[in-house]
Amino acid sequence: MWSWLFQRITAVLLIVMLAVHLIFTHILDIGNVNYDSIGERLAHAGFIVVDIVLLAAGIFHALNGLRMVLMDYWFTSRKRAKILTAVLWAVGIAAMVYGTWALWPWIS
Amino acid sequence: MSGKTRETANVGAGLWKATGMWAWLLFRISGLILVFYLGAHIIVVSTGRWTEAGRTLNDLMKAFDNPVMVLLDLALVVAVLYHALNGVRIMLMDFGVGIKRHKLVFWSAMAVVVICFAIFAWVAFTFIATGKGVTS
Repeated sequence: MWSWLFQRITAVLLIVMLAVHLIFTHILDIGNVNYDSIGERLAHAGFIVVDIVLLAAGIFHALNGLRMVLMDYWFTSRKRAKILTAVLWAVGIAAMVYGTWALWPWIS
Repeated sequence: MSGKTRETANVGAGLWKATGMWAWLLFRISGLILVFYLGAHIIVVSTGRWTEAGRTLNDLMKAFDNPVMVLLDLALVVAVLYHALNGVRIMLMDFGVGIKRHKLVFWSAMAVVVICFAIFAWVAFTFIATGKGVTS
């Protein structure tokens, strides 16, 4: 139930934020993305929000989606599914920490 | 072949003729591609901190301007757009929209995919041909 609900909440967030992200990086800034231009974009607070939301919602949506696929094939029992969920939470938190570390020089 | 086996075989073939089944399979495949891309994307962006003044990141970004990489990027856009619009269709069905006319809703969503793709393709091919963006 919660996994279903959060998959949809993050889906809506991703559609909106990814549209902004792709318009600014791919359509308007193609061929011009580099360390400095990323810094200029992230000098605006709005883009920091976009990138952090993309990072968090993206990681949750990706790993929760992966969890649903894996539970259809190999992690079919309740016990195995619990182990899978715990492992994916660890992976997700690590990815969030690493991703925030990666963005830190531009957003701090 | 007895009548019964033939009937069973036909049910199987019929199942995969259904639009919804292909929609589901492509949704999974595009989703898995996007999970791996997200991991790669986080690592690529993090290279900004690996070397002085983002040197590794800048080298990678230059390498991604190669036409082959731009085309791969465009293929990724197809995965993103398909996954997003089929996702919208699924969320509409959660609210009861498109249960009776799911094929119409599916193909309408695919029309949006094609329109959005055309914009990204125009940008990508302009960049490959001229080395410039459409706004520069």
